[in-house]
Amino acid sequence: MTIISFVVAFVAFAVLAPLIGGVIAGADRIVTARLQGRVGPPILQPFYDVKKLLAKDDSVTHSFQGFYVFLSMVFTVLAGAFFFAGGNFLLVIFILMLATLFFIIAAYSTRSPFAEIGAEREIIQVMAYEPMVILMAVTFYMATIPMLGEGTFNVGAVFALDRPLIVALPFVFIGLLFILTIKLRKSPFDLSYSHHAHTELVKGISTEMTGRTLAIVEIIHWYETVLFLGWVGLFLVWGSWIGVVVAIVGMILVYLLEVFIDNNFARVKWQFMLASSWIVTLVCVAINMVLIQVIF
Amino acid sequence: MFFEPIILIGLLLLLPLLAAGLLLVVRGNGGRKVVVISFGILIMLATVLLAAGYLVGDRWQGSFHYPIINYCLLAVDVIIGVYVLGKSIKHKKVLAGALAVAQMAGIIAFEFLIAPSVNIANDLYIDGLSVIMALVIGIIGSGICIYALGYMKEHECHAREKDPNCKDRRPTFFALMFLFLTAMFAIVFANNLAWMFCAWEITTVCSFALIGYTRTDEAINNSFRQIVMNQLGGLAFVIALILLGLQGVLELDVIIAHGSLGLLGLPIMLLAFAGITKAAQVPFQSWLLGAMVAPTPTSALLHSSTMVKAGVFMVIKLAPAFGWNVNGIAIMLIGGFTFLFCSAIAISQPNAKRVLAYSTVANLGLIVACAGVGTPEAVWAAIFLLIFHAVAKSLLFLCVGTAEHNIGSRDIEEMDNLFVRMPKLALLMALGILTMFIAPFGMLISKWATIVSLVETNNAVLLILLAFGSAVTFMFWAKWLGKLLAVAGNQTNVETKVNGSEWSTIGLMALLVVGLSVGFPFISQWVVVPYLLSNPQWASTSLEVISFDNLLIMAIIVVAVVLSFLIFARSTKNRTAPIYLSGVGVDFEKRTYLSSLSVETQASQRNWYMSGWFSEESMTPLANTCCITVITFGLVLSTLSIWGWSL
Repeated sequence: MTIISFVVAFVAFAVLAPLIGGVIAGADRIVTARLQGRVGPPILQPFYDVKKLLAKDDSVTHSFQGFYVFLSMVFTVLAGAFFFAGGNFLLVIFILMLATLFFIIAAYSTRSPFAEIGAEREIIQVMAYEPMVILMAVTFYMATIPMLGEGTFNVGAVFALDRPLIVALPFVFIGLLFILTIKLRKSPFDLSYSHHAHTELVKGISTEMTGRTLAIVEIIHWYETVLFLGWVGLFLVWGSWIGVVVAIVGMILVYLLEVFIDNNFARVKWQFMLASSWIVTLVCVAINMVLIQVIF
Repeated sequence: MFFEPIILIGLLLLLPLLAAGLLLVVRGNGGRKVVVISFGILIMLATVLLAAGYLVGDRWQGSFHYPIINYCLLAVDVIIGVYVLGKSIKHKKVLAGALAVAQMAGIIAFEFLIAPSVNIANDLYIDGLSVIMALVIGIIGSGICIYALGYMKEHECHAREKDPNCKDRRPTFFALMFLFLTAMFAIVFANNLAWMFCAWEITTVCSFALIGYTRTDEAINNSFRQIVMNQLGGLAFVIALILLGLQGVLELDVIIAHGSLGLLGLPIMLLAFAGITKAAQVPFQSWLLGAMVAPTPTSALLHSSTMVKAGVFMVIKLAPAFGWNVNGIAIMLIGGFTFLFCSAIAISQPNAKRVLAYSTVANLGLIVACAGVGTPEAVWAAIFLLIFHAVAKSLLFLCVGTAEHNIGSRDIEEMDNLFVRMPKLALLMALGILTMFIAPFGMLISKWATIVSLVETNNAVLLILLAFGSAVTFMFWAKWLGKLLAVAGNQTNVETKVNGSEWSTIGLMALLVVGLSVGFPFISQWVVVPYLLSNPQWASTSLEVISFDNLLIMAIIVVAVVLSFLIFARSTKNRTAPIYLSGVGVDFEKRTYLSSLSVETQASQRNWYMSGWFSEESMTPLANTCCITVITFGLVLSTLSIWGWSL
């Protein structure tokens, strides 16, 4: 990763990711509506919503709130830029963690009881998915040892592969899909902040956010969607244009699966989310680590 | 080289000793202030002088062999033994007394029967790691002593309110603190293990006295728990000395160079065991938790720059002898389990000092695990974990101590809204917390390096322990940080009462935290990597755990985060609105509102402590079982290896 490739990736991700993420959100709403027997909004509806939020009077509970949310966006963009520039996977994960922390602090700082509950739940969500995320990077390294001759954490290395990573890491991929539901804020794991008004305790972590602050929260979600789909693509792509096509098709299918899950399961309690994520992580990673040792 | 190394070492040993002596004599407040501040600064300067000469230089080693020294040290050992025995008899503690007798018998037998026949080429040494340790001890340790001036004044006032006739025991307190520093310096420069043992015992007995300082029943009981556990370690140390003496080696560098095999396996395991007791690893964590009854400067000193750091220093020193052998596996598993379980227990603790204590034990576990892995990459991570833990923990303890004196509680729930009441202190505490668990700050970068070193050695079990441990770590820090940074209302700023000596040390620690996080790539490049490569076992041509570019990126982010806080802390231009409270708000600071029945209702929200999942009661037996099993296996197998039996 040179400085130039990073700058290109940064600009491209900063500009393109919200466009793609917004369209995905729009498509999500249409598919969701169809699953529920409705017609649904136009595909560009998320952009109209954000535009309206941006036009609203900007009010906050105190001056730090907007600052924290803004920092959260900056670091999300930075994480995405490092990922799509082919940088170090752990670097991406850790910067993203910082972004999440600032979002949590933004909610806590309002001292609203509802926002605080949302923030607590967000922390529990982090605790549920973080082991899988770290172990995904770890097994990425382990799998590149037999596939490339030497281990690496640089995600750009997937383009040097002659087969997709999923061949070596099928169980880790399943584990990723499981926690992806948490990361994409989909039911049944949308504990801290949901798009489904009927399951929400006021508005969870974003209770005290309005106007421009809420617009930024929405945009952060678009950035994250693109970044997490990038993680899915990482497992499917290899060094050929067919690989890129396969990855894009795979990402679309995975997202449709998430929408399907979102609409068919009711929100669970945190105990179930935490226990199931940890068990799935442990089982999937352990089996896959053995698999790499034995077969490759 | 500006000074003869032997003079520098002598200076570092004698300065705090002299200060301790003076503090016993000078009993007035003004005089004590002068002595503590002047000697504190002198010790800091002396360590900087040492660093200027040897931080990036080659290893120095030398002999300083006079039989009289050995007899003096033996006398010190015996005095310590008699002191502990006396205290045990006074408080009717049989076990502590018995252990003191056993230890005394062992060390006397060793000095008269074995030691005279062993030739020692180098008694003392200075290398990169001992200079880093000296900086930690000298700068942080003396800083805490200076902080204690203000803190102990208030502590004394509080004590006097309760009991007007209580005796002012501050001279003893400060003398012990400085004596502690002397002993720590001796540990990091001693190549002769018999010498190190003497210093080792001084740290044990100093912390015994410091923990029992308040003389309440709880304090005395906890101080005896400390002494019993550390005596077990001390006894292991004595047995190791005897076994090593019988083989004719008592020099640390020679032992490490020979590795963990054959006849040296058991003594190395015993030395590591001594390190583990001192570093409060499971199942010995309870002494460090009990140590919380002592005044905060004691906790800060024990947790950041002394005592537990002596334990991990020992284990890091022995690291070249670890790796994929019985000892190495035992050590890495103890560290790994300790990290996971103690991080999890920290979630269930509402008491800020206990959270800090569990996090100390957990992070030391990570250091011990890294040392157990025994590759240069892992030791690189261990050294950085040690440095950042020392600085960030002392910052946190000092902040919590100051907060406690001003808000009257060490409960995290009571720190709600501290940002409004004590803005500067809350921000500095937040800085300490960030440093402990999140990128781009030091501890997380070190954890990143740990992951790299584990994956390079294909250590699946430890990787899984680390991944889960990191996730629970996020939980307990993030929720504390959230409470701390909450903003509501315009309560009075109570910060103005904080003593100047407290501010100066807290400020110094904060500067160190930021400076070290920013300077991380350079410290790695110029100090830690050269030190590691100078070890004969690890002499390879290059060592890059995390690429310099990535370290630089993190350093830049540190600057960005800190600057944005500094710049932003002033501007307020947005329209502010009250929070939503399911009714008509009455008092937003107290979170009261008129509900639908027109009744004034208060909304309250406590953090989650998840005691059903992570309580001390349920986790501790599990953690103890795991670690005791591992230690037993480690000791048995390394004993068997004396007769050539191995896995």
